[in-house]
Amino acid sequence: MFYIHQTVCVSAQKTNGLIDLDDIQPIKDNKLQAIEPNYDAIPPAMYRRMGRAVRLASGAALPLLNTLTFNGIVIGTANGGLEDCIKFLNQIVDYNEGKLTPTNFVQSTTNAIASQLAFFSSNKGYNNTHVHRGLAFENAALDVAMMLNEFPDNSYLLGGVDEISAYQYNIESLAGSYKKESISSAEDLYNSKTTGSIPGDGCTMFAVNKQKTGATAKLKAIGTIHTDKVEEVTQYLTNFINKNLGESSLSLFLSGENGDSRHLPYYSACQNIVPNIAVERFKHLCGEYATASAFALWLACHKIQHNNLKNVLIYNNFRGKQHSFMLVENA
Amino acid sequence: MSRVFVTGIGIISPLGDTLSLNHTALKKGICGISTLQLINSNFAGKLPVGEIKTETQTFKEKLKITETGYTRNSLLALHAFIDAINDSKLSNEDITAYNTALIGANSVGGMCLTDELYKDANSKSQGSEYLSSYDGGSVTLAIQERYGMRGIINTINTACSSSANSIMYGARLIQNGLATRAIVGGSDSLAKYTINGFNSLYILSDEICRPFDSERKGLNLAEGAAFLVLESEEIVGNKKVYAELTGYCNANDAFHPSSISENADGPFLAMQGALRKANLQPNQIDFINTHGTATENNDEAESKAMLRLFEKVPPFASTKSNIGHTLGAAGAIEAVYSILNLTEQEIYKSLNYKNPIQTTGLVPVTAYTKMTINHVLSNSFGFGGNCSSLIFSKA
Amino acid sequence: METATLKQQLKEQIIQFLNLTTFKPEDIKDDQPLFGEGLGLDSIDSLELIALLDRNYGIKINDPKEGRKILVDVNTMVAYIQQHRTK
Repeated sequence: MFYIHQTVCVSAQKTNGLIDLDDIQPIKDNKLQAIEPNYDAIPPAMYRRMGRAVRLASGAALPLLNTLTFNGIVIGTANGGLEDCIKFLNQIVDYNEGKLTPTNFVQSTTNAIASQLAFFSSNKGYNNTHVHRGLAFENAALDVAMMLNEFPDNSYLLGGVDEISAYQYNIESLAGSYKKESISSAEDLYNSKTTGSIPGDGCTMFAVNKQKTGATAKLKAIGTIHTDKVEEVTQYLTNFINKNLGESSLSLFLSGENGDSRHLPYYSACQNIVPNIAVERFKHLCGEYATASAFALWLACHKIQHNNLKNVLIYNNFRGKQHSFMLVENA
Repeated sequence: MSRVFVTGIGIISPLGDTLSLNHTALKKGICGISTLQLINSNFAGKLPVGEIKTETQTFKEKLKITETGYTRNSLLALHAFIDAINDSKLSNEDITAYNTALIGANSVGGMCLTDELYKDANSKSQGSEYLSSYDGGSVTLAIQERYGMRGIINTINTACSSSANSIMYGARLIQNGLATRAIVGGSDSLAKYTINGFNSLYILSDEICRPFDSERKGLNLAEGAAFLVLESEEIVGNKKVYAELTGYCNANDAFHPSSISENADGPFLAMQGALRKANLQPNQIDFINTHGTATENNDEAESKAMLRLFEKVPPFASTKSNIGHTLGAAGAIEAVYSILNLTEQEIYKSLNYKNPIQTTGLVPVTAYTKMTINHVLSNSFGFGGNCSSLIFSKA
Repeated sequence: METATLKQQLKEQIIQFLNLTTFKPEDIKDDQPLFGEGLGLDSIDSLELIALLDRNYGIKINDPKEGRKILVDVNTMVAYIQQHRTK
């Protein structure tokens, strides 16, 4: 599909700047909020309007936008600036539909992120925003893969971003998405027998093209399926492996397991499809959010490069209904 | 790359809930804009909007919804989706095939439920039935779940160009061999959220909108949905074909969050790119379905972009004068209207126009006209500089 | 209210409304243009300031173009507020 060159990962871990994944950052108040990046490069006139999602994305993307040239920008985000959205909604109620301030409204549209990045870099090329909840990032990656099939000489900025705000937390808590008991470590999370996970947020940006030279890794294939039936997921995975891996072996299975007892059967069943392969999990690092798979793709690239792995298979599902597989290879 | 044909259409708009009702109304030059009624808002009884005068509950009953969490947005989308698959005579097997994609688009998601969202987000409730229905993805997921669809499923939100981009994405899935069929479109329902949002930007007109008129005062918000069935030339066989999607392009104006630049680079690049993709010269475009929102900024900028690209600007009109601006649904609804231009070989007049914009002097189509039409260009531009153009050609 | 007090109060409100976190009231001169070269505000800010006048002083401006005649600098805003405030 395409080669991944530079990346920036803003997460709850030390993944940006000096990368240190051995110094695991603790889960605070049952949340894994991203460590905000340096915002010095953002003009103050723009910064003052930004909500968390736009801010995280700008902080992550600017180092790439300032040093590389892109033919387009493609972002996956399930909710974009939801905090601004609820702030505007609260204005509607609190001021009884009177004179309202437009900034929250303008910033709340999910495409505000991709368009802000276009403004920064005067990028008039392809610009798209995928919002398909747990597969928003995968669809964005597929979009870029198609662009590069159509324009093989081009380069694109691909990103996944979602924020956790108090409002989002309230809605998801009511929906039973988060654990009620205290979780303070990976052990707590993965040994838990209850439903729910711990929320996280973050933003990961990838500079991608078709050039093998100098690449960190190659995204070989993406597969997605919507179903709540375990056997349909494993059947899909079997076909995905036969089609994309052939006879070669896997170095690592990167599992999106999130401590939610409702989702465990999918992860266990998929693990059984690739027996005797090393398994690692990542949600204790980034938390659960709709575009956490972008973090997983960054982690796969990191592990391929630093542990000299041949390939990594990422399996993630969101709410037990949206499943994705990404096969990442050594470039 | 495979050719992409339109084999099914489903539409619901302020002009009616079928393709034929929409066609008749366009032909007669009917305006579906009226005073806001169905939303509990200070703007009710005052603001002109393109409202579908059917209560949400009535839609639920008509569509036999037993699932919880269905929003008005999802209902409009489902209505158009059902008509599109029936029109294309798709079997259940066709719909659930791994190579049938579903690409939806919208800009408000379930935020039409202002009061529920307010309570849920501020922890002032025990949780409504809509906790998983507020995001944009929920609208597409409602359709996917109802039909058990297995192919590539996606939702796009680029504000007012959302469903032009979902049509483009579906066509590209087919042309990249990732699907043989893509059901593509978009929806949006009127919402207190968008009414107040656009009002805070002072771009809502308190009168019925007047696209391309020198005295235009802004846009009218509207609601609706449209879906198209796109099929590759390999599987289309002897099916009825409405049109071919020959060109598309997405570009960004990279200028301002809510207005288009002086030179209208985004609109210009989108139209130019669509022509290039279709391998057409500007003079081969017979008609332009403009974005034409009737805001001061859009109509002037779009006119300038047309003057930049076309030596002689082809006949053009804005169907926003018939139905208002359906936001995330606009690209798909206007794709349907562009296809009607092709199948019926006729163009519909732009309503409420009197005098040209001084700086551009362009005059939209002011009378229903029968004419030869081979290629129609349809524009959709959105906040955030997201501009997209599509070209439909006679099949 | 005395003009000087009103000016100080207005500057604080402008900073708060527009989230000008790097500014202090004394950084905004009374005759410094709000838009363009001065404070560098833009069209969306002008709409924010119209909302400020409504919420804090009960002043209704329905046409943003009219608003821009009032929103020249702190002096013009204060003069308008003193004449037209309803709260």
